[in-house]
Parts: sequence; structure tokens; C-alpha cells
Amino acid sequence: MKVIGYFLLFFVLAMILIVLAIILGDSAPWYFAWIIGTGLLILTSAAAGFMFDTQEDKAKGELQ
Amino acid sequence: MINDTVVALSRWQFASTALYHFLFVPLTLGLTVFIASLETVYVVTGKSIYREMTQFWSKLLLINFALGVATGLTMEFEFGTNWSFYSGFVGDIFGAPLAIEGLMAFFMESTMIGLMIFGWDKLSRGQHLIVTYLVALGSNLSALWILVANGFMQDPQGAIFNPVTLRMELQSFSALIFSHDAQAKFVHTSIAGYVTAAIFVAGVSAYYMLKKRHLEIAKRSFRMATIFGVLSTIGVITLGDALGFIGAHAQPAKIAAMEAMWVTEPTPAPFNLAAWPNQAKQENTWALQIPYLLTPLLTHTMDTKIPGIAEIEADNVVRIKNGIPAVEALKLLSANPTDPAAMTQFKAHEQDLGYGFLVERYAQDQDVSKATDADIAKAAKDTIPDVFTIYWVFRIMVAFAFLMLAFFVFGVIYSLRNDIEKHPVYLRFAMWMIPVPFLACEMGWITAELGRQPWTVYNLLPTWMSASSHSVSYMVFSLIGFVSLYSIFIIIEMYLMVRAIKQGPDVHHGANTGGHTKDKSLGGSVLGGSYAPVHAKALMDEQSAKEV
Ligand code: HEM
Repeated sequence: MKVIGYFLLFFVLAMILIVLAIILGDSAPWYFAWIIGTGLLILTSAAAGFMFDTQEDKAKGELQ
Repeated sequence: MINDTVVALSRWQFASTALYHFLFVPLTLGLTVFIASLETVYVVTGKSIYREMTQFWSKLLLINFALGVATGLTMEFEFGTNWSFYSGFVGDIFGAPLAIEGLMAFFMESTMIGLMIFGWDKLSRGQHLIVTYLVALGSNLSALWILVANGFMQDPQGAIFNPVTLRMELQSFSALIFSHDAQAKFVHTSIAGYVTAAIFVAGVSAYYMLKKRHLEIAKRSFRMATIFGVLSTIGVITLGDALGFIGAHAQPAKIAAMEAMWVTEPTPAPFNLAAWPNQAKQENTWALQIPYLLTPLLTHTMDTKIPGIAEIEADNVVRIKNGIPAVEALKLLSANPTDPAAMTQFKAHEQDLGYGFLVERYAQDQDVSKATDADIAKAAKDTIPDVFTIYWVFRIMVAFAFLMLAFFVFGVIYSLRNDIEKHPVYLRFAMWMIPVPFLACEMGWITAELGRQPWTVYNLLPTWMSASSHSVSYMVFSLIGFVSLYSIFIIIEMYLMVRAIKQGPDVHHGANTGGHTKDKSLGGSVLGGSYAPVHAKALMDEQSAKEV
């Protein structure tokens, strides 16, 4: 149930992001958006990796 | 005389080679960027597990890249062999982007991929990371040029037609590159590649988690892939909307076909959520509609008119009639390029030249001055593409987009809660998701290319005029040849991929233990390269990172 709640929350958040991006960018400078967006994408997924390790380390710390 | 069967076979040949080729492309576009992200973590943290992850996914990338290049090569030649009139017509515009694409793909990208795969023990960590970033940039930039060329075919910008040379001539390189269609098309396609890579990595990682193998690598890859995927899917949907918005202005017939809109509806028009289009009767046998939705969805306003197919066809009758004098003037100019009367006549009807070409196909002796009303009506009908196919392939692409968004949102939740392994049904589903983005990409190309018919260059050059004059047997023979060869490529790709995935990453880090301790067992080589230096370098790197 909690997962469904989170799912709905995140899904709605994603939809809001899409609508915002659409409103802001009819014929946007998409190349520029791509360069910035790809850079941010690389960094965000890298941050997801860091976060995973932090969680793992914390879990191990709690176990010990 | 143009042979319709040869034109049809040329189309089948290009469509099949392009669709085969595009089974490889998106994964390369996305995996290179994903690997850049993995290696960034490795360089920042110095944890060797991220190096192993980088190397493992690079191995799969290399398999895909090699076969992608092999299938892409033939297409560049196909322009010349099967579409010679088209090649001459747009050579001035296509020459530069295709040459740059060749240079980018075969020099920058291939060289950098070589360095990336084989340079681990030759380059410093920072240098290797730069190379990896250049691979990501190079693969996407090489796609940029072909998509700029395709953008020109969808919405010709930056060039004018020269009635004396019978060719398009480039007027503005920046207008060509920065056309709205080219920009949105490139970003949509590139991000579609990111989505594809994210699903692929998530699916393969799910396989390992189900098999309880390489858990450390799988869980990390899965976490990064789902975050990468959820953001990319948001991007691909946004850019899909932008493409529709641009198309609504540039290619109304394609948009009307994508939405199965036979007649112009009062604004705001309803959205056909599902429908059964009947081209012969020019109506939907049935339709499930949502009132008022289409106009804001497509035009981002509540009152912009979206022309229906009947109206577009009627307008095109007028344009065909207006284009006939342009074609006639062209014939006079080819006999005498300085004929001022012919030039004046051409200039007056120039904007509908392509429509004049459309009716040439049906006119007696292919002489437009003999075109009858029936010929004009037939040509006008041709301006409406195959509505049923376009409507449904477009819908499948969009449905897949939302399916993938939902999939990634669940993936992010499970991964953040760190209980992904407790959801075997989801993991199994993740494996089944692997073909979905590939299919979405194929559907996207069918929408874009079938929707542009009957043109190769929109509003200017009809497809029927673009083909070379080969014999039917030549076309059948080469079509069978290509399909067989490419099918073999796909089988090889699947075999190599499955083998590499089953083999799994080289393990140096004590997998499944949860730690980053170094496993001294040598788990095989990366692409047959010497594993000892790789292994030793990983240990040294980790050591030096700790010292820093
Ligand atoms: C709501 C979601 C989406 C929308 C509204 C959308 C819209 C479009 C449109 C309008 C086109 C035709 C462009 C043209 O005529 O030139 C297109 C093409 C394409 N789409 Fe999508 N799309 C969506 C999702 C996706 C997804 C999920 C993928 C793949 C992962 C994808 C991959 C492609 C590709 C490869 C093409 C052909 C190249 C191009 O024209 O950009 N699309 N899309």
C-alpha cells in the first residue's frame, strides 16, 4: 500500500515535470537543453550511485 | 518511366535496413552516456566495483557498437544506389552533414571507443574518463548529423530550389542545423537512446538479481539505471510533445494521420484515444474520444484550428493545380535556362512545385499539361499517408513511454528502499521490458517516415521521383540479400550479448559479500585482453584513491 502511495506521488510529480517542461518549451533551444540535461543526467545518476554506497555503508554500520 | 514496383521495393529496402540498423543505434547512444556516469563515480570514489561495472557495460556496448556500424554503413551507400535522383536533388544539403557524420562515427567515435576499451592500463584515470565522455559525445554527435539531414526531409529549412540545375542549394547552414524540427528530433532520438540503455541495464541487472549472481554490481547498476531512466523518460515524453507541436505546423497531414482526424473539428477538438481508421471511407469505424483534449495537447492553445484530412486533401487539389505551371516552366527552363517568361512563371508558382511533381506520375505521358481532374484527384489522395498504420504505431510508442515511466518509478521506489530483491515479479517483469524501448524506437521511425509520405523531401520532392531506375529483379535480389545479412547480424548480436551477459562481469571485488574487498580470483578477461594488468591497476587505483 505504501509503495502504491509512493508510486502515485512520484508518478504525479513526473507528470507535473513533463507539463512544466512542455509549457516552458514550445520551440525551445533543444540542443542547449540537451547539453545541460545530459550533464545533469550523468551527475544525477552518479549521485544515485553514491547514495547507494552510503546506504549500504550505513546498513553495515548498523549491523556491526 | 518510373516503375512503381521498383519504387516500392526501394522503400521496403530502405525501411528494412533502417529499422534493422536502429535496433543497434539507441543502445549505443544511451549506454555510452550511462557508462560515463558509472566511470564518474569510479573516478570520484575510487571504488573498483564501479570500474568493473564500467568495464562490463562497455563490453556489451562494444558488441552493440560493432554491429551497429556494420549495419549503418550500407545505408549511406543506399542513398546513391537506390535513391539517385533524391541524392542529386539534395546532395548540396546532405553532403556536409553526412560527411561530418562519417567522420564523427568512424574517426572520433571509433577511435575513442578503442581507447576506452583497451586504454585502461595505458591512460590515467582522468584521461580515461575524458575518453569515455568523448565516446558519449561522439556517438550522440554522429547521430546529430543524420538527424539534421532527416530534419531537412521533414521540414526543409535553409535551402532553395535552383530551377536551372534542378537541385536544392544550401542557403544557410545554421538554418539547416538549428531548424526546430532537427533540434527536437535529435534530442527526442538521443534521449530515446538513454531510455533504451536504462531499460537494458535494469533488465540485465534484474536477471542477475534473480539468479543471485553479481549482486553488488547488479544492485548498483539497477539503482543508477532507474534514476537515469526515470529522468530520460520524462525527457523523451517532453520532446515527443515538442515534435508533435512542431509537426502540427510543419506537416499537418502527418499530424491528422497520427490523430485519425478525418474532418476539421470545431475547437477545442476531441482526442481519439482509440479508433479504427478506415482509409477507403475516410472515417473511423469506431472511436473512443475524450472531448476538448486534442487542441491543447497538440497546439498548447484552446482555439488553434487543426485541419482534418478532408480539408488538407481539398487544399492540396488547389496546390497541385498551382504547381502544374511551375513544372511546365521547369521544362522550358531546362531547354533554355535564360527564358525570362519561363522564369517569371516558375517564380509565380514555385511554392507548389512539389505538388506539380505529384500529378506528373498520373498524367498521360507524364506530361503535366495533359493532367485531368481525375489525375489531380488521385495525386491529392496520395498526399494523405497511411492513417491506420500511423495512428496505431504512434499510439504504441506513446503507450510504451508511459509504461516505461511507470516501470522506472516503481524501480526507483524499490531501489531507494533497498528491497528490490524482494520483488521477484517486478524483476522478472524488468527482463521482459528489455524489448520495449527498441520497439518504441521502431514505431517512432515508422511514424516519422510513413507519416511524411508521399514525400522524401516534404512538399518538394515526391518519393516516386526519388528512386533509381533499377530492374525489379535487382531490387528483389538485393532486398533478400540485405534482409538475410541483417538477420544474421541480429542473431550474432543476440548470441554475443547473451553469452557476455551469462558470463557476467569480471569479479575482483568480492561480489555478494557487500564489501569492496578485493577478490584475488581472476574472473576472466575484458574482451580477451590481459586481465592481470587490469586487475593490478584496479587495486592500485583503489589504493591511491584511499591515500588521497
Ligand atoms: C509521449 C511519448 C512520445 C511522444 C508524444 C512521441 C512523439 C513522437 C513524434 C511526433 C515522432 C515523429 C517525429 C517526426 O515526424 O519527425 C516521434 C518519432 C520518434 N520517437 Fe517518439 N514519442 C514518444 C515517446 C517515444 C519513446 C518512449 C521512444 C523510444 C524510447 C521514442 C522514439 C522515437 C524515435 C526513435 C522516433 C523517430 C525519430 C524522430 O523523429 O525523432 N518516442 N516521436
